Amino acid sequence: MKLENHLRKYRFEHDEISQQDLANAVGVTRLTIHSIETGKFNPSTLLALKIADYFNASVEDIFYLVEDENEA
Amino acid sequence: MNKMTKIIRTLNHIFGFLAIAAFIYAFIVLIRLQPKMVAFEPLSALESALLTGVGFGLLIVLAFFLLSLLQVIRFIKHSDKLRFFPILLVISGVLSLLFVFSDVALLTDISKQFNEGWAQPEWAMVFPMLAFQFVIALLYLFLHVSGYFSKMQVDSVVRDVNIFLIVQYVGLISGGMGLAMGGLGFVYQSGWSLPVHTILSSLTIIFPYALAVLYWIITKLREKDRVWWDEKQMQDIGKSALVTLLINTILMLVLFIFTIQDLAGVVRMLWLPLYLFLTVFMFSLGNLYFSRRG
Repeated sequence: MKLENHLRKYRFEHDEISQQDLANAVGVTRLTIHSIETGKFNPSTLLALKIADYFNASVEDIFYLVEDENEA
Repeated sequence: MNKMTKIIRTLNHIFGFLAIAAFIYAFIVLIRLQPKMVAFEPLSALESALLTGVGFGLLIVLAFFLLSLLQVIRFIKHSDKLRFFPILLVISGVLSLLFVFSDVALLTDISKQFNEGWAQPEWAMVFPMLAFQFVIALLYLFLHVSGYFSKMQVDSVVRDVNIFLIVQYVGLISGGMGLAMGGLGFVYQSGWSLPVHTILSSLTIIFPYALAVLYWIITKLREKDRVWWDEKQMQDIGKSALVTLLINTILMLVLFIFTIQDLAGVVRMLWLPLYLFLTVFMFSLGNLYFSRRG
């Protein structure tokens, strides 16, 4: 299983907020938001909750699990 | 534009024009004196004083490159992302800064060798290095005057990453040059000196990296709710540290095995700088790689 997300979609639905502005709001670097969006980095539970809280959504709305083809 | 930015900008304009004047002065004096010194013709008191003036000019150049790098880093901090051109500016600025120390060392050697009546092969290096620095100084001055560094793209950055990455780029340059310096020690073993070649060179080469790290620490200390690294940076640093540990252990073991018969030789003077610069190089490379890769 691997973690994927709708972060980019949420950013665009919220006044096209930039990665930097989201990073400022949740207290991480712009590169961390970029890495989460591109699936290169899995956020901690705390950060996932902060991001979800920022968008007034639940963690499951933004983050979801998919089958990893490489795992089989 | 805040007060500090205005002060730095004004200082850069003043030191920029002074630095260009210093370069032109250095070229005129050195082109005039080189043929006489190579032919061991005695210098007049005025000519000796002119040569000393070149050294003072280099101090102005040093100040200009330091101030310019400070301006570039402040500009990068407020960039929406780290682009190629500002990285190139930092690399060329750091090299120019290091070359100022090389200029002083070469001119000192030339002067000593002239007084002793020895040949001065260093002249072949002085002019290309000065020409490189002159071009970079002109580029910086043009960017300062055109207001390029005044265009801040992002107003507020709560957790900086650009300066952190710049520190890694400077680490790559310092680490790489330090390793090259260490390599030279093995090639020119007979003339290697501990105080001049090992200690002075190492301190000079590590200087830009130390400055970059110091600047990063100062920016962190000024953060309101200070967090030294966010969770991804922490993960990247951990991976880089592991890679550095592995590579350092292997390469230093190889160095030990290859020099075990001659541990009293040049390796005695170089093992610490080699270890230090390898650590800086590998750690910086690792951080840059993992920050991009995730």
